[in-house]
Amino acid sequence: MIGIVVVSHSHALATAAVGLASEMVADGNRPAIVVAAGLDETTFGTDAVAVSEAIAAADSADGVLVLLDLGSAVLSAELALEFIDSEVAQRVRLTSAPLVEGLIAAVVTASTGASLDAVAAEAERGLAGKQEHLGDGPAAEPVAAVESGQSLEVVVSNQHGLHARPAARLVGLVNTFDARVTVTDVDTDHGPVDAGSLSMVATLNAIRGHLLRFAAEGPEAEAALAAIQDLATENFGDDEPARFPARLGAAEGDHGGSGLDVAFGPAVLASGLVDVSGYVAGDNESARLEAAVEAVAEELRRLRDASPDLAGIFEAQLALLTDRQQLKEIREVLVRGASAVNVWQLVFDRLAERFEQLHDAYQRERAQDVRAVRDRVLRHLTGTTEDSPIEIEADQPAILVVPELDAATAAMLDGQRFAGVAVRAAGATGHGVIVARSRGIPLITGIGDVDVPAGAIVAFDNRKGSFEIEPDVEQVRATIAERVAEQEEAATEAELPAVTIDGRTVAVLVNVGTVQDALAVRGAEGSGLVRTELLFGGRRTAPTVAEQVEAFRAVAAALPGKPITIRTWDVGGDKPLPFLPLDHEDNPFLGERGLRAFRRRPELLRDQLEAVRQIAAEIPVHVMFPMVTTADEVAWALDELGPRPDGLKVGIMIEVPAAALRVATLTADLDFVSIGTNDLTQYVTATDRTNPAVAALADGLDPAVLQLVDHVVRNAGVPVGVCGDLASNPQAAVILAALGVHELSAIAPQVPLVKARLRQADLRLIDTAAVLAARDGDQVRALL
Amino acid sequence: MSNMSKEVESFTDWLRDSAQVLHDNAAYLTELDSAIGDADHGANMDRGFGAVVAVLDETSFDTVDELLKKAGMTLVSKVGGASGPLYGTFFLRFGTALAGVKLTPAAIGEGLRAGVGGILARGKAEIGDKTMYDAWGPALDAYDTAVAGGGDLAAALTAAAEASAKGRDATVPLEARKGRASYLGERSVGHQDPGATSTTLLLESAARTLA
Repeated sequence: MIGIVVVSHSHALATAAVGLASEMVADGNRPAIVVAAGLDETTFGTDAVAVSEAIAAADSADGVLVLLDLGSAVLSAELALEFIDSEVAQRVRLTSAPLVEGLIAAVVTASTGASLDAVAAEAERGLAGKQEHLGDGPAAEPVAAVESGQSLEVVVSNQHGLHARPAARLVGLVNTFDARVTVTDVDTDHGPVDAGSLSMVATLNAIRGHLLRFAAEGPEAEAALAAIQDLATENFGDDEPARFPARLGAAEGDHGGSGLDVAFGPAVLASGLVDVSGYVAGDNESARLEAAVEAVAEELRRLRDASPDLAGIFEAQLALLTDRQQLKEIREVLVRGASAVNVWQLVFDRLAERFEQLHDAYQRERAQDVRAVRDRVLRHLTGTTEDSPIEIEADQPAILVVPELDAATAAMLDGQRFAGVAVRAAGATGHGVIVARSRGIPLITGIGDVDVPAGAIVAFDNRKGSFEIEPDVEQVRATIAERVAEQEEAATEAELPAVTIDGRTVAVLVNVGTVQDALAVRGAEGSGLVRTELLFGGRRTAPTVAEQVEAFRAVAAALPGKPITIRTWDVGGDKPLPFLPLDHEDNPFLGERGLRAFRRRPELLRDQLEAVRQIAAEIPVHVMFPMVTTADEVAWALDELGPRPDGLKVGIMIEVPAAALRVATLTADLDFVSIGTNDLTQYVTATDRTNPAVAALADGLDPAVLQLVDHVVRNAGVPVGVCGDLASNPQAAVILAALGVHELSAIAPQVPLVKARLRQADLRLIDTAAVLAARDGDQVRALL
Repeated sequence: MSNMSKEVESFTDWLRDSAQVLHDNAAYLTELDSAIGDADHGANMDRGFGAVVAVLDETSFDTVDELLKKAGMTLVSKVGGASGPLYGTFFLRFGTALAGVKLTPAAIGEGLRAGVGGILARGKAEIGDKTMYDAWGPALDAYDTAVAGGGDLAAALTAAAEASAKGRDATVPLEARKGRASYLGERSVGHQDPGATSTTLLLESAARTLA
């Protein structure tokens, strides 16, 4: 078997690439892979001496293939050949193959015992699969069909089709036989291609459900086909990993995001209080507390490291937990014989109270963190380390019923144990709700004070807004099956444009709060809303211009070639920003929100606009200003923006009824407007969506809201988008399209579903006049 | 033998002086590299020559060729960027060419040419590609011309250093065609090449120390 050497500027890059490639083949078959990368583990650079040593280490009589990144890697590798024995150098091949794709192809091919020439040829073809998929490479070379031999047809049953790992299994298997095997994707009429070539099999792009035809000739043709049949029966060696929500069928995509909106299971009630009644103080309370604090600190560090997007939240909780002064004071009380539980609870309750009394909205929200830290330590002290107060049946995922959902709880929720979350408080835009949604956890908010017996089976359907105790489980299962089917179909066709039956094309984009959202989405035609206040939400200090450019670049890189719509800082109301402390307001939703917050202190906005101008030079960018009311505000914002770089489109959000009504006077110098339906709804209906007593009045499908949408579409004179929750609801999306909205921006898991629903819709059949004249939101829904 | 160690001494002085000069100019070289490359040339050269000095502190050399070859190997391992294999190869071949020969100005000139031949074999650059060869090429020619005209080592190295500086300055209006800077295309125009700059520093140091 040949050996493989990986030369790179970066040790981390090379090691990761080797890790990725090694996954493709079993331990026993793996060729020797030696890394010569970086001057040390953290310093970028290449070292010809290290390369020569790596070649010597990987050397075998069959030869060595060297994969490289660029620049000095090439020079150092060439120089390394001068350092080694000329006899060894004869059997070393430096290849221009792409590092990652080439390495994977090389490792797989080498593992079958292929010659250096064959492995090098496979590595060089490493880009073929990607080029075929993206349609930007040279046409794949046709392979002579096997004509006289035998054939076999199998269906791809793998969740994700014949992706790299199962393809590698197939290729590895085929190459162990003395036979020439070709494969054709009958559904797409791709092929035949060489089934012994990973890169060629990859070009088929065979997805789940496709029929593959194998043909083989040669002495072992029959045995080869029999082995392929066996491999296909076991999903080409793919273990279908359980994904969230395990109970509801595997969700499409690797990044969570079920989009099912429906779940059932035994109710787990979390009061937010830990039961400490059974706790008995011992001799050494100080040591007990220390152990509990250390255990919690370890948990928090793990959570912090596991989710960079949320690191700020856990970092802040760690700081609260390990405050030295506070721990010292607690210990002083404990040595006098107090109970660790009592003291810890008292100290943290007081601390939470102090936070709650602060005027600054961000500081007030920290009380939630204080309580979260309090409870984690109390659970360790009392031995109830579960996140919930009752035991759950092991094989039945539960529904967590909580008074409120904070971001940390949402981020930590164990997807294996919980099928969904029902939140008593109303409000669809809190940070916890956003985090849960972005993880694709089925969620319903605003169930209110309904009496839920612990352990009772409950079900909810967020699309219908229903929450049931002891529901007809069969019916719920049927709904779930329907949604799963709908979702699979939607995901398969996610990349197709959303063209309605009557021929209207609606652009469907994604709302982005973290880079993960942009990475996870399928089928989005860009981002219609980048929530900058969330992108940097975990930070205590304002990001620099360069940091913002970097973050925008990362979002754009996840949506290559597609426009992203950067919304300037949207602060105030329910969205505090730690680096922009706001004064206490009696009516924050009617106060210094969005653009208004920067009229007195424009510095942060100016930095952000500078970042927008810089990134606009690299990628297609739109920028929009939130919470605009008057033409003067538009003029002021445009003045702050200054000269627009080519291609930068500028818009405003329409959330204030006054702005909706006089939109024609606002858009003279704008390229687009985007309606924020959440805020528009709460202002039009005069309803605090976070107050469960009245939240039901804040219905996005209220005809009063839709009349304003209609008015904006007719009078804006520029393209109109919707980026509020309404755009994520497939049913509402059809109404919005019928009203003439050009662009919808939805949360990542909903994008394929919204597109699928639009493709099924015939807008001519929607009686918009009746929708606008309806009595209430329920009547609108009944009309569909 | 005493002659030999005097030569080893002056070549050692050259390497030490070069290390000092590169250290003093590290920020400048990195600044040049940040305009058209990956902003590491100064740091890389400083690290590489710093490692050479550490070797000089620990090891004594009997011959110039051993000294230069060891310096070359050290640069190969410690510089990190493309200048590692390039300068490393230069010193390796320069050293190899000087093995067992009398160190006349003409022999040293041939050695320099052999070293630069190594740079060309490695980097495949041509004059006008906006690389260190834009400094080396004219320097070799000026050196040979000076020697042919009867000049001593000092005159030849001075001429080489001056020609190198002119070559370096001439890289400013060029569009890079090799290395990381070539990704920038037209945007590389108007910036001085960092490799040609460090080459000139080495030759100016040679003119000060070797003669």
